[in-house]
Amino acid sequence: MSNVARRFRQLIIEPMPGLLFIAACIAGLEAMASAKWINPAFSPVPSLVGHRLWEILDSGAVLEPLAQTLGLLTAGYFLACGVGISLGLLMGYYRTAYVLFEPLLELLRPIPKPALLPPLMLVLGLGSAMKIAIVFLGALFPILINTIQAARAVDVVLVDVGRTFRSGPFRIIWRVVFPASLPMILAGMRVSLGLGLVLVVLAEMLTGAGGLGSRIVDLQRSFQAQEMYAWTVVLAGLGLILAVAFNWMERTVAFWSFRR
Amino acid sequence: MKAPAAPLSPGRRESDLLVIKGVSKTYGSAAQGVMAIRTVDLTVRAGEFMSIVGPSGCGKSTLLQIAAGLLPATVGEVQLGGTKVTSPPEGMVCLFQQYSRSLFPWLTVEDNVRFAFDHHASLDRGKTGERCRRYLEMVGLADFRRNYPWELSGGMQQRVAIARALAAEPRILLLDEPFSSVDALTRLELHGLIVDIWSRTGVTILLVTHDVDEAVFLSDRIALLTKRPSVLAKLFENKLPRPRDPVSSGEDPDFLSLRHELLSRVLDPR
Amino acid sequence: MQCLLVSRFPHVISLKSSRRSRLYDSGWTGILLVVVLLAAWELSVSTGTVRSDSWPALSSVLTALVHGATSESWASMFGSTLYRMTCGFLLGTVLGIVVGVLFGVASYVNRVLMPTLEIFRTTPIPAIVPPLIFLLGVDDELKITIVALAAFFPVALNTLAGVRQVDPIHLQVAQTFRVPRLKAILRIQLPSTLPYVFAGARISLGISLIVAVVTEMLAGSEGVGYFIVSMEYAMRADDMYAAIIILSVLGYVLNRLFVLLEAKCIRWARVLHLRLT
Repeated sequence: MSNVARRFRQLIIEPMPGLLFIAACIAGLEAMASAKWINPAFSPVPSLVGHRLWEILDSGAVLEPLAQTLGLLTAGYFLACGVGISLGLLMGYYRTAYVLFEPLLELLRPIPKPALLPPLMLVLGLGSAMKIAIVFLGALFPILINTIQAARAVDVVLVDVGRTFRSGPFRIIWRVVFPASLPMILAGMRVSLGLGLVLVVLAEMLTGAGGLGSRIVDLQRSFQAQEMYAWTVVLAGLGLILAVAFNWMERTVAFWSFRR
Repeated sequence: MKAPAAPLSPGRRESDLLVIKGVSKTYGSAAQGVMAIRTVDLTVRAGEFMSIVGPSGCGKSTLLQIAAGLLPATVGEVQLGGTKVTSPPEGMVCLFQQYSRSLFPWLTVEDNVRFAFDHHASLDRGKTGERCRRYLEMVGLADFRRNYPWELSGGMQQRVAIARALAAEPRILLLDEPFSSVDALTRLELHGLIVDIWSRTGVTILLVTHDVDEAVFLSDRIALLTKRPSVLAKLFENKLPRPRDPVSSGEDPDFLSLRHELLSRVLDPR
Repeated sequence: MQCLLVSRFPHVISLKSSRRSRLYDSGWTGILLVVVLLAAWELSVSTGTVRSDSWPALSSVLTALVHGATSESWASMFGSTLYRMTCGFLLGTVLGIVVGVLFGVASYVNRVLMPTLEIFRTTPIPAIVPPLIFLLGVDDELKITIVALAAFFPVALNTLAGVRQVDPIHLQVAQTFRVPRLKAILRIQLPSTLPYVFAGARISLGISLIVAVVTEMLAGSEGVGYFIVSMEYAMRADDMYAAIIILSVLGYVLNRLFVLLEAKCIRWARVLHLRLT
C-alpha cells in the first residue's frame, strides 16, 4: 500500500466508526432536547452549546482564560521537568545522592498533591505563585521517580562504552545515561502533564481567580448551563490537544524506542 | 597521541606496551568471596596480536576488563606504556562482546563513530565527519553512515563498533569475545577485516576468545589460562607465516598441532 | 554482580575503595536529612523566625494529629470519605473490567467506542465536576459517580492490555483440543489477564481516594476534603496538616493491603488454573 493511501487510511478511515458514534450521540442529544426530554437548564443541548462555543472562539474571549491556565501549567510543568530530570539523573547515577534523598522522597511521595492545595493557599495566597507551585509539586514526582528508575537501569554496557572512551561523569550522564533513560522519563512526563492540568484547574476552581477552571465554576454557580458546557468543551479540547501533542513529541524525541 | 615514555623499570623492554603484573581478582569479601583470577602475569608487546584463551568461566573477560581499567584488581596492577592504569587510559579502547547493546540507538552510525573522539565541542563538524568517514570506509560501511544501528545486521553492527573504536586512534585495542555472537561466515569475514586493520594501522590487539581456531588464526602469541581460579598456564608462540589464509591454514600441520595442544588443554578437566 | 556495581558507579567504589564510601552505602545520610529538616521546621517556629497562622509548628501538628487520631468526629469523617471512595472504586473497577474485556474480545466495539473514551480520559477530572453537579446534584451520588469515572480508566486500559497480550496460539491450541469455551477462558485468559487487572485496580485505588477528597473539596459538606478546605478558611493550619498526614498514611496503608490481596488472589487463580487441568 502506498504511503499516501496508508496515511489516508490512518487519519480518515480508521477513526471513522468512532467519529460516527460521537456524531450519533450528539445528534441523539439534540433530538432529545427538541422532544423536550431533557431540561436545557441543566443538560447540554448541542446546538446551544455549539453556538456559545462558536461565540467564545470567534470573539477571542477564549484567549484570556486559556492563556492563563495554559501559562501557569507550562511554567510549573517545565520547572518540574528541569528539577525532576536533573535531580533524577544525579540520584540515579550517584549512589550518595540516591541514599541522601531517597527517604525524603519516600515520605513526600504518598502525600496526595491535591490535598496540598489548601496549605499552599494559606502560605502562598491565591495567585499565580501558588498555582505554579502546586503544578510543580504534582508534576515533580512522576518525572523524578521515573528518571531515577531509568537512570539506575541504564544498560551497563552503554556506560562502559562511555568510560572506555574516557568520558568524564558529566559527559556520561548527559550523553549516555540521559538519552538512554528518555523513553521512561517521557512516560513519567506524560503522567505529570495530566496531573498538572488537573491541579491547575482544581486550583482555579478553588480560588476563583481567573483561568478556565474559575470561569466554569462561576458559570455553574450562576446557573448558566449552556455557557458552562461550552467552556467545558474548551477545557476538554485543551486536554485532548495536549495529549496528542505529547504523543507526537514522544515519537519524535524517543524515536528509537518505537522501532526496536 | 603517544604518552610520554616513562623511565624503564628493570626487566621492562621498550616494546612492552601493556604489562599485567601479579593481577588477582576476588569478588566479594576475602573470606566468602569468589576468586576469579588467582594470579596472572602477562606482557603484551607493541604492535603484536595477542589472544587469551581458556575454559568457560576462567575469568578471561574479567582479566580484560581489569586491563581496560573498567574493573579494579584486588591485587596487582596493570601498566600501559609504563603508566599505571586506574581508569580507562588514554590510548586504549575496549570493544565489548554485546556489540548491539554497545551502540547508541539514538545516534546514527556516523554519530556513534564521532562519539569516540568528540570530547571537545569546539571541533568542527566537517572535520569530524571526515574522520568518521575514513574509519567507516575502513570497515566498508561508509554508505551506511546515516543509518541507525538497529537498521543494520549483526555483522554490520560489529563493524560499526570496530570503526568507532578505531576512530579514537588508540595504541591498543582490547577485544572481549567480539565475534562469538555472529554466524560462522560473518565471523570469517570479520577475521579478515580485523587482520587487515591490524596490519594497516599497526595497532596492538589483545583479544579474548573461547574459540581456539580463531586465536590460532589471528594471533602472534596465545596466552592460555587455567580454569577458575585461573593462572597463566602457558604462553604459546604462533610462528605461522602471514598472510594467513582461512581456507588453507586449516590444513597446515603447524596450525593443526598448535590447535591440538591448545584445545586439549582447554578441554582438560584438570 | 559486583562487576556490574563497580562499572555502574565508578565514582563511589573507585579503585582506591575507601572506608568512606562504604559508610555512605549504609544509608543513614538520608534519614539524617529528614531529621534535620524536621528539626529546622520546629525551630523556625519556636525561635519565632516564622510567625504566621499558615505555618504551624511541627509540635502543634503532632498534637493535632494525636487528637485527631483518637477523636470520633475525625473517625466518622474519614469513614464517610472511605465509604464514598469504596463505592466509586468498586463501581469503576467492575465497569472497567467489563469494558476492558469487551474491547479486547470484540475489536469492532473497540473501534466505535474508543475515541469517545479517549476524549473523556484526557479531560481533567475537575472539569467534569460542574457539569455533573447540574445533572446529579451535590450529594453522594455525584461523588461516587466521579470516583467511579476516575477509577474506570486505569482498570479498563490495563484489562484491555491484559486481554490482548494473551497469546492467540494458546487459544488456538485450546480450540484444537475442543476445550469448551468457558474452560478456555478460565484456564488460559483469566490467569494471564489477572495481573494486569490488579495492576490497573491498584492504580485506581490511589486515584479513587484522592478523587473522593477532591470532589469533597469542590462540592462537599462533609468528609476529609471538605474538612481540609474548611480548616484552610478557618486558618487552623495544624488541624489541616494533621488531616493531610493521616490521609497520606491511609493511602499508603490501603496500597500495601491491596498488594497483599493481589498476591493472594493471583495465587488462588493459579490454583484454580491447575485444578481445571
